[in-house]
Amino acid sequence: MAGRYAAFTFCDRITAYQPAKRARGLFHVPAGLESFPACLVAEATGQLAAWVSMAHIAFRGRPVAALAAETRFLGEARPGDTLDLQVDIEQCDAESVAYSGAAQVNGVQVLELVDAVAPMLAQDEYDAPEDLDAFFRRLLGEGATPDRFPGVVPPPMDVLDLDHGQAARASLAVPEQAPYFADHFPRRPVFPATLLLDSGIRLAARVAETHSGWQARAVVPTRVTHVKMRDWILPGQTVELRVEQQAASAELMRFALAAVRGDRTVATARVEIAPQG
Amino acid sequence: MQQEFSKEEIMAVYPKVAETIADALGSEPEDVKLDVSLIEGLQAESIDFLDLVFRLERAFKIKIPRGKIVEDARGDLPESEFEEKGIVTEKGMARLREFLTEVPAERFKTPMKAAEVPKLFTAETFCKVVLRAQKAAAASA
Repeated sequence: MAGRYAAFTFCDRITAYQPAKRARGLFHVPAGLESFPACLVAEATGQLAAWVSMAHIAFRGRPVAALAAETRFLGEARPGDTLDLQVDIEQCDAESVAYSGAAQVNGVQVLELVDAVAPMLAQDEYDAPEDLDAFFRRLLGEGATPDRFPGVVPPPMDVLDLDHGQAARASLAVPEQAPYFADHFPRRPVFPATLLLDSGIRLAARVAETHSGWQARAVVPTRVTHVKMRDWILPGQTVELRVEQQAASAELMRFALAAVRGDRTVATARVEIAPQG
Repeated sequence: MQQEFSKEEIMAVYPKVAETIADALGSEPEDVKLDVSLIEGLQAESIDFLDLVFRLERAFKIKIPRGKIVEDARGDLPESEFEEKGIVTEKGMARLREFLTEVPAERFKTPMKAAEVPKLFTAETFCKVVLRAQKAAAASA
């Protein structure tokens, strides 16, 4: 399948591996990309934990992003950088995996992921267990060909209303087809939670930029907490993103984020945004 | 029937359990009552139970094996005797009534799908989960 292990796979090689306990891995961000969103650094960290946990149960199950207590965005990963990923598995079995992780660039930590929990789903509904097993062995051995990732085009986001510095609603139309569905997942495409969060963060940033005390200042996400994914978002579906400011100071703005499909809240999180620099 | 835990033991852990439930579900703390069904009263979903179990583990520094509540409820009753074709058997219902003493009798409706057993769980159910885990940890220390 075109794009398999390239379009949304963020590990080139696993450099250290202690089964069911911890791992380190590398991912080179292709130099030709325009940018590499912070949420994809979190995705890369989560995927390394996924490899460790899937290998532990012989690829019979796969974890899906569901809960993340805290993700700290500490720095940027730029095109051309190499991510040095590490994960510590707190608990892992056929039901779920709990882990924490981090990503560094040139020895400087750019992301910390604290207390993430993912339930395990039946692998063969989503992917081919034997193919994953083979690719995992390749990651442990010679590694995958670097620079496979072509970049991600975020789904179009139509801002429905924006109350300066306070709140916003936007419609996010997930495409029927996109390269990342080749990896996420081959047998049952599902919109990646990290891309949903990326859109939510961008919407929160737009609200923050319109706050009276912050205008004309560039802003960056610093922390995402209380992430809870309640349901799938499938290709072709549209969700409404809602952000609402909960607290604001000169240095930080905190938002509640929700993704709603019809009358169902499919995801919630809290996002913190700060002026850059 | 002798209760597994005294009211005092339940109430000793209840404030922190209630706070953890409110955090996990995004509920108002005053909406969390000892006898409230987490699913029917607080709109909890399966992902919330996973979240809650991990939060309780951290709050109380205990280990709660996944799926432990239903497994404990079943006790020594084999799964094949606890449920048939997804429906809790009479033996299974008797076992649930015996185990979930905190749940009012009228909430044990038959036929009950095995997947609906978590609808019975209340805040007190999770107090008992915590107390069992504490007891197990003390026994193995």
